[in-house]
Amino acid sequence: MPEQDELVHLTIDDHPIAVPKGTLIWAAARQLGIEIPIYCYHPKMEPLGACRMCFVEVERMPKLATACTTVVSEGMVVHTSSSKAQKGRRGTLEFLLINHPLDCPICDKGCECDLQDFTQRYGPGGSRFDVSKRHFPKPISVSEHILLDRERCISCFRCVRFTQDVAMENGLVMEERGYKNVIGVDPNAPFDSIFSGNVVEMCPVGALTSKSFRFTTRPWELKKTPSVCGMCAVGCNVRVDVRVDKVLRQYSRTNDDIDDGWLCDRGRWDVALINSPERLRTPLIRRDGALEPASWDEALRLVAARFGEIRERQGARAIGGIGSTHVTNEEAYLFQKLLRAGLGTNNVDHFHGRFPAAGKNDLPWVWTDSIAGLDGATHIVLLGTETYTRQPIVDLRVRKAIRAGARVWVVTPEPQRLDRLAAGTLRYAAGRTAAVARALLSIVASEGLARSEGEQTRVTAERVAAVAARLAGETPERLAERAGVDVAALRRLAREIAGSAGAVILYDELATRELGGETLAQDVLDLALLTGNFGKPGAGCGPLLGAANSLGARDMGVLPDMLPGYRPVTDPAARAALGGAWNASIPSDAGHDYDAMLSGVVKGLYVLGADPVRHASLEQRARLEALDFLVVQDLVLSETAQLAHVVLPAVAYTERDGTFTNTERRVQVVRAAMQKLPGARGDWEILVAVARALGLSWTYLDPAQILAEIGRIVPIYSGVTRRALGMEGLRWPLSPTEADGKRALAGSPFLTWEMLEQGVSRPASAGAGAGGELVTPSGRSE
Amino acid sequence: MAETIDTVAHDEQQLPLGPSPKFVTANIDVPGIDRLEVYRDHGGYQALEKALKGYQPEQLVDAVKKSGLRGRGGAGFPTGMKWSFLAKNTGKPSYLIVNCDESEPGTFKDRMLMELLPHEIVEGTIIASYANGVHHAFIYVRGELAYSGVQMERAVEEARAAGYIGQNLLGSGFDLEITVARGAGAYICGEESALMESLEGKRGYPRLKPPFPAVVGLYGGPTVINNAETIATIPAIVRYGADVYAAYGTEKSKGTRVYCLSGHVNRPGNYELPLGTPLRTLIEDYGGGMRGGKALKAIIPGGSSVPFLLPDQLDTPLDFEGIAAAGSMLGSGGVIVFDEDTCIVGAVARMSEFYRDESCGKCTPCREGTFWLVQLLERLEHGEGKASDIELLNDICDNIAGKVFCPLGDAATMSITSSIRLFRDEYLHHVRTGGCLVGPGARRVAVAT
Amino acid sequence: MISDDVKQQMREICARYPEPRSGTLLCLHLAQEQEGYITPEGIAAVAEVTGSKRDEIESVVTFYSMYFREPPGRYVVNVCTSISCYLGGCDHLLAHLEERLAVRRGETRADGRYTLRGVECLAACGMAPVLQVNGEFVERVTTESADALVDRLERGETVASAPGAWNVLADGRPQDTPTVSGASVAEDAAGSGRQQGEKAR
Ligand SMILES: Cc1cc2nc3c(=O)[nH]c(=O)nc-3n(C[C@H](O)[C@H](O)[C@H](O)COP(=O)(O)O)c2cc1C
Ligand code: SF4
Ligand code: FES
Repeated sequence: MPEQDELVHLTIDDHPIAVPKGTLIWAAARQLGIEIPIYCYHPKMEPLGACRMCFVEVERMPKLATACTTVVSEGMVVHTSSSKAQKGRRGTLEFLLINHPLDCPICDKGCECDLQDFTQRYGPGGSRFDVSKRHFPKPISVSEHILLDRERCISCFRCVRFTQDVAMENGLVMEERGYKNVIGVDPNAPFDSIFSGNVVEMCPVGALTSKSFRFTTRPWELKKTPSVCGMCAVGCNVRVDVRVDKVLRQYSRTNDDIDDGWLCDRGRWDVALINSPERLRTPLIRRDGALEPASWDEALRLVAARFGEIRERQGARAIGGIGSTHVTNEEAYLFQKLLRAGLGTNNVDHFHGRFPAAGKNDLPWVWTDSIAGLDGATHIVLLGTETYTRQPIVDLRVRKAIRAGARVWVVTPEPQRLDRLAAGTLRYAAGRTAAVARALLSIVASEGLARSEGEQTRVTAERVAAVAARLAGETPERLAERAGVDVAALRRLAREIAGSAGAVILYDELATRELGGETLAQDVLDLALLTGNFGKPGAGCGPLLGAANSLGARDMGVLPDMLPGYRPVTDPAARAALGGAWNASIPSDAGHDYDAMLSGVVKGLYVLGADPVRHASLEQRARLEALDFLVVQDLVLSETAQLAHVVLPAVAYTERDGTFTNTERRVQVVRAAMQKLPGARGDWEILVAVARALGLSWTYLDPAQILAEIGRIVPIYSGVTRRALGMEGLRWPLSPTEADGKRALAGSPFLTWEMLEQGVSRPASAGAGAGGELVTPSGRSE
Repeated sequence: MAETIDTVAHDEQQLPLGPSPKFVTANIDVPGIDRLEVYRDHGGYQALEKALKGYQPEQLVDAVKKSGLRGRGGAGFPTGMKWSFLAKNTGKPSYLIVNCDESEPGTFKDRMLMELLPHEIVEGTIIASYANGVHHAFIYVRGELAYSGVQMERAVEEARAAGYIGQNLLGSGFDLEITVARGAGAYICGEESALMESLEGKRGYPRLKPPFPAVVGLYGGPTVINNAETIATIPAIVRYGADVYAAYGTEKSKGTRVYCLSGHVNRPGNYELPLGTPLRTLIEDYGGGMRGGKALKAIIPGGSSVPFLLPDQLDTPLDFEGIAAAGSMLGSGGVIVFDEDTCIVGAVARMSEFYRDESCGKCTPCREGTFWLVQLLERLEHGEGKASDIELLNDICDNIAGKVFCPLGDAATMSITSSIRLFRDEYLHHVRTGGCLVGPGARRVAVAT
Repeated sequence: MISDDVKQQMREICARYPEPRSGTLLCLHLAQEQEGYITPEGIAAVAEVTGSKRDEIESVVTFYSMYFREPPGRYVVNVCTSISCYLGGCDHLLAHLEERLAVRRGETRADGRYTLRGVECLAACGMAPVLQVNGEFVERVTTESADALVDRLERGETVASAPGAWNVLADGRPQDTPTVSGASVAEDAAGSGRQQGEKAR
């Protein structure tokens, strides 16, 4: 960015400052800690200049300037609180208040209302308005979740610009004109957007309020904790707002790299499970066929005893564990450690855990680039995804890319919300995602579209030949036919990808589980590699994952064949290193995977935060019922828990500390926002207690200690600590670097060829703990 | 004011086209002049041929600069200069918009040109497009003027059929498309950037400037926008030459313009006169003086968006500088005449309602301020006001003027502040007696003044 | 119902612009012409041909004063109430019409025959006071000529499209009566206008 280098010098209220060319006066003042009040301006949207609140006086300008629209210039002298500027702001506030109902005592927004705050700081002491105010019927329900009070509205246009320009969805619009203008919805175009709640958060007054939050509290009674949303794999940064023992909402705390300041409605309001009256408050033990309350002591002793018996009688391979994508890294790590080191089995996996044939010699199946990288993509191909419902904020980021000119292809079996905005859509037969990817790859290979330039010089003839050999006999036509899609359309798409300056190709992790889906991850990776869409920002490929810690569960080795950090259990060096660190011996054979564990090969099963019954076939369900011993650890009595012999009550992500790793490899700190539900315990605490009941000498006092162990043992997490992750997290591979003579931790925004060739998952030496043996430092090719 | 008359300083004998030529309205009363053949019989489209065959585009821009023509839409910006500011080589197509959204109260010249001389506007549009390297021009006709819209469409179709629009015009290699667009009822859409929004199919909100339309305008391309009368003047400038045009008017306000005379005069109407013609000449000679022999009370010289003038300013020359020196603006050329029976408070209240109703609502001071102003003015007019309302009106105007997003808000304050300055007694009279000072509703209670 | 024919016309309108969305206002006029006012179907049709979301179109509709959101009367009488017509006595005219048409300003008579409205400056200030009947001008209206107009509307006649009664002379000399005059209904029999039947588009 050459513009960044050009600094412009100005003074604001006598403070000199230099800012990049193009900076708004408002932003420059903010850097100096000088507040300029705004209503219509929102840093994530284009300047509008409508509300006239941000007046400043600029020397040699005849009129007051709006700081939100005026760009700095060299030598500019700005006064933010001259009497002229003050009069301007007073005037605006007086205008805004003449029609305002002034019903602050019963307004949800009280204490977080910009109209209250700015009136106090900049407003007139009284009103000269003694004629009649406008009145409107109120409140009006504008959506399932939101109410509108038109009398409180100050026409800042934030909400309409959000729904129209940012979300690009049916939503709020301005209706009528002039003094009659009101916010409204078209009755025939319902405001049903999953992004709707953002308008409530960004409304500077109490005009838009949430039905669920309405009248439940005064905002100052809320306890606000910075954390990470636990509803999906995007990992938006949130502030959890809690009143006593209820989560009332999540607000954004803006991480530009992930959420860009937005949240989806699921993240914002879907707190039903956390607040559920059905939450378990005590362990349960099955007695005479029925689950009955029991003490923690009794339950833990029983778990240890029954697993001990099974191991004794049937061997460790008769025990297995099904882990969760919802628990923290620390808990996932402890879970597999408990099974491997404590119970002596590699039988540990989770639903969607084993990712079929994920490039044995290449990267594990991760997104090679990042969410923010989408901003710079010229092409985005969404393959078998449902981003709008499964990763909403990624979907919103795709919309941002569309605004910036990216061509988006929605390649899915079913129509998607994004279709309307897409440059192209392709429909194929359900369950045939892998064939579509393979067809694209075979077009690239057979049409000679592979590139070999720049970073891509490593696309060697051999690699192309290897791909061709792998695809031998599978023509684009045959593959397209199998996928039920027009081959000509696929060819157009393949050429676009090959000709793009930066394409991102994403698929949903679910697609790898389709019949024949084993080839998908490798084929998409090769598609990106051959077309030069790898190792640079604004390009890349990978899966979009589903749950808050889908990636973390894998990273932590909740997998039958991989140890933490994707080191194969069959690798003696890796086993030795880990065994040494754990002071245990790790079985050398790969464990049973998820499906196997549900097929009767294990007799004792430990289910942590998962509900396999929900996805189970009748036969699998019968196997679960037939288990000798089933322990389930969960928030509520799930369908699986109803079959359990022991149920251990756990807590939600808002009740304990830890870390999650999102779909773009970012490790982030989750913070306890409220007291644990009485009677329930954090998953990590329960795991420690079970381990101790089994006779292991685990001494972890808090999740930070577990994380520190992860930092020592898991190469891609090398050096990780809570402090190093800070408020915004870091993307793995993490590695300590020397910055200014101090040790710092850096993450990698996108993966490079070098990492690919070494295999991020397989450091040259699997020896854990020694800082000198870390994998590739970041930023090599930036 | 004597010297201002002298600003029309030419010896009438030496003027190339006589004392008061008609550059725009020359053939307006020729029956059927709205049809192409008749227009052509009277010299129509000859200027176009001359321009396409005899001039390079830059030469035309220079000629318009030299003519001294200033925009007739309100601001009086020099047209040639506007054209020369059009950004070149932006990689995006450039556009020309002819602003036929005439809605300024007191203004009715563009509608007349559209109804009677549509081909003159079309011819001007083609020449201006050629001069600016524009290949797609838009004529945006105010929605309420249905007949004007029909006339413009028909003229464009006739011109297309005659080969004046389309590919390779008159063998010049120049291609041009003209589209007639229609508004749907919004004064603000006369403002150039709001017009562009409207033309793009949106609500007519003014756009943030910079960027200016000459750089980023319609569809993001560099855009020239001119008033209908401005455009209709172009053929005459080409036809007679810039010098001839510049021989009329005053030093800084060249040529003629069409003044729209309305209100309490005997012969309201449109009169094309050289700039610098004294107000008195327009009102007394052309307008036939005050209706019913009443006395003159006030004049608004440029549409309702400009301040009042008083009878003692009748000798002010109608040119940009002269009217500005007198404390008002020439604006759209709409000269509104008020006689002695007019209640100024009532008239101002009426004008203010217009701005309240036509405010787009984007910016706070205009949206809320006009709402408040009208309530205060109405209460004053109905005799329920307070003395403090007068200062309040002034202060509300101060909180609007210069603080709004676009000139509409400023315009809304003009008649209010100028009338309070010039007719404060009349406001006070309403407060004190509860009725008007003059007119049918006058309440002539003895008041100590 | 927006017929396929009208939809086709809409598409043609949109094709005249670099971006189809520019056709919005004209297409809405067309929809209104077809259905009398802007209906949800009209909005849907315009959204479709312009490639917009329907809420955007709805928002556009409400910005402009010419779009009816409820069925208007058979005759829409718009009386200009801006300053020049105000000076010419439009308030009196409007009050007279309220009485004569038995409908208040801003309203549509219960039998659906008349909608009477006060509107902003119609660019006919020199012929004040003016009104429009279904978009066609009637100028220099007096109470008498207004009554005559209503009489004719009562008989089912229409007001023709025609130029205004312009007060101009090529030599710029003042004159007493308009030389270029159109079908001001007050003077000229309705229907004799030159462009009768031609619809504004
Ligand atoms: C509120 C407002 C309304 C306007 N209305 C018109 C109009 O109806 N016709 C017009 O030509 N210009 C109008 N203008 C001026 C235009 O913005 C623009 O300056 C003009 O069309 C430029 O043409 P010109 O340079 O030929 O005068 C208006 C300006 C404002 C601020
Ligand atoms: S001054 Fe403001 S509200 Fe008024 S018309 Fe302009 S932008 Fe709209
Ligand atoms: S914040 Fe600057 S005008 Fe609204």
